[in-house]
Amino acid sequence: LSDDGAIHGLAWACWLGVILLIVTLSRNPWYLGLALVWVSVVDAFARRRPLLGRVAPLWSPLRFGLVVIPLTAFFNFLTVHVGTTVLVRLPASWPVIGGALTLEALVYGALNGLALTCIFAAFAVVNRVVSLRALIQLIPRTYYPVAVITAIAVTFVPATLYHWQQIREAQAVRGHRLRGLRSWLPLWLPLLTGGLERALQLAEAMTARGFAGGPAHYPAARLMLLAAGLLAVLGGLLVRLIGAGDLWSSLLMVGGGGAVLWVLRAAGRQHPHTRYRPMPWRGRDWVVVGGALITATVWLLPLPGRSTIFFTPYPTLTLPALALSTGIALWGLLAPAAVWLAMPPPVEEGAGAGGAWEGEQQHDRI
Amino acid sequence: MSVPVPQVPVKPVAVNRQMPQFATFTIYLLTTGIGVVALLYPFWLPSVVQTGQGGMAHAQDAPLILTLLVGLAFAVLLLEVQTAAGSAKTVALLGVLVAINSILRFVDVAIPGPGGFSPIFVLIILGGYIFGGRIGFLLGVMTLLVSALITGAVGPWLPYQMFTAGWIGLSAPLCRPLVRALGAEGRAGEIWVLAIFGAIWGIIFGIIINLWFWPFVAGSASQYWQPGIGVWATVQRYMVFYAATSLVWDSSRALGNALLILAFGAAILRVLRRFHRRFVFHYAPAPVRAPVVYAPALTPTPRVEVQP
Repeated sequence: LSDDGAIHGLAWACWLGVILLIVTLSRNPWYLGLALVWVSVVDAFARRRPLLGRVAPLWSPLRFGLVVIPLTAFFNFLTVHVGTTVLVRLPASWPVIGGALTLEALVYGALNGLALTCIFAAFAVVNRVVSLRALIQLIPRTYYPVAVITAIAVTFVPATLYHWQQIREAQAVRGHRLRGLRSWLPLWLPLLTGGLERALQLAEAMTARGFAGGPAHYPAARLMLLAAGLLAVLGGLLVRLIGAGDLWSSLLMVGGGGAVLWVLRAAGRQHPHTRYRPMPWRGRDWVVVGGALITATVWLLPLPGRSTIFFTPYPTLTLPALALSTGIALWGLLAPAAVWLAMPPPVEEGAGAGGAWEGEQQHDRI
Repeated sequence: MSVPVPQVPVKPVAVNRQMPQFATFTIYLLTTGIGVVALLYPFWLPSVVQTGQGGMAHAQDAPLILTLLVGLAFAVLLLEVQTAAGSAKTVALLGVLVAINSILRFVDVAIPGPGGFSPIFVLIILGGYIFGGRIGFLLGVMTLLVSALITGAVGPWLPYQMFTAGWIGLSAPLCRPLVRALGAEGRAGEIWVLAIFGAIWGIIFGIIINLWFWPFVAGSASQYWQPGIGVWATVQRYMVFYAATSLVWDSSRALGNALLILAFGAAILRVLRRFHRRFVFHYAPAPVRAPVVYAPALTPTPRVEVQP
């Protein structure tokens, strides 16, 4: 078997998490720009690997950025009347948009658009390189029924497409033509009826093979703990909103969230299971996680230059500062590209050239 | 001469339903509360900032807090709702319905309809209406998840889409009392109620989905410098943004939902009702009557009744 250069889904989740952390914390254009460039480099390397993920998204990150950055900049420019560099002044009597329109608001809006583009680009990479099987395996054990339904649905999609084609041909032979909305009914109804009939057969087959899901039983004490945890989170959020105290708010939210997570983990233990083809955790996955952790650590620790992360163009636009250590830490995002660079170039086998769907079908049958 | 046979009391299964039901109700209430407050958090933010208690820090972490809280509420709600998918029949039913609906999304992505039009909501609404809120929630959540997996549409918007589509299915049974009150079951009135419901959700879906990036668009720090801005002012900004960027888009979704339900609703409801009787039924031991016997009584065997 040739090595397809696949990186574990959890490693990609870490990489993605750190990018979300960066765009959440910072509006410094240097850092946002660097993050976007490094994500684009990883994307360029990903395009040279076999397509493991699904079809590429309709919008490329470049196209997304070209639409979203001007949109957010213009909207902020029109509706936020803050800043000292006034470009235009609209009559104050005009609702919402009336007042001073400033350069600072325009820049801040563009930076928000840049952050959104960065998120979009990162998800586009993950969509390209993470296989369907790996994504389904990422569903936590707590949601075992959800994972089973997902696996069934994904497996049934090609069969349903085939069924749809058959119905179309059969109706065409009978002289059916698509004229107006209601003429779709003779196509959709057989598809729905046939699908539900197949669901009954599948259920019988599952039962015959020993599938016994049964309603999950959660002890009352655990349910009460779950409710108490949620109550604490809601209380913490409300305390935060009324500004009654940061300490209490944080304590309530962290405590409540911890209780909820504990119950979720305990619920997951009710579903012991084995994996038919577990994806191995390899050295390359450690490299990606390590790169992401280095970036996160430098960004979260109170190191010199960290204050440059929190750039704001208000009240007067200034040139943002760039700290060397914080900027270099972003190189951690390049870890996936480094992994692929160290590997031999992929062999063109033709498999997957028509999209990942065919390749997935070899693995994901249940 | 008949031998008097003592009545054999059938002891009900010892299940304490009250506690789980109370806990379930509390969980629904709290997750909805957290979801709503978290989604509205960015609107309150300017007021929080002005209180001065670490307001600037709150402004910075708004997207993070929003994502974490919505994620937490969604995780708990999904845990509760997935108990509905206990049997092989329900699992298979959901798997196949989700596959059909995902095909519709696939077609919609390949041949985009006008604006935000998408055919996936019809089955979520009608499925939730017939099979119940939990199945409707799962149908909504799983449709968005599976279709995102197969079309490469996994993104930060996905949890919001899943949560909102789940809410659509979860709330669909709310139409039942109205349909009953109108005496419109099985009539045209039922379809009209569902079509209006679909149209309303077409708009609300867009309003909620836009909130995932609203903290980015609204800008958080900018509010800090603007004296006097409050919840209403922020809502006004959002309304302007929504009207400018999404209202036309979402209107086509609302119109599409209504038209599709009006055109196909009656036929799909008939099919779903027919299969509902085959998929969802409960085994309930019948009360054992004293048999008229002429011999020493045998241990009565509970009869199994199939109730639709």
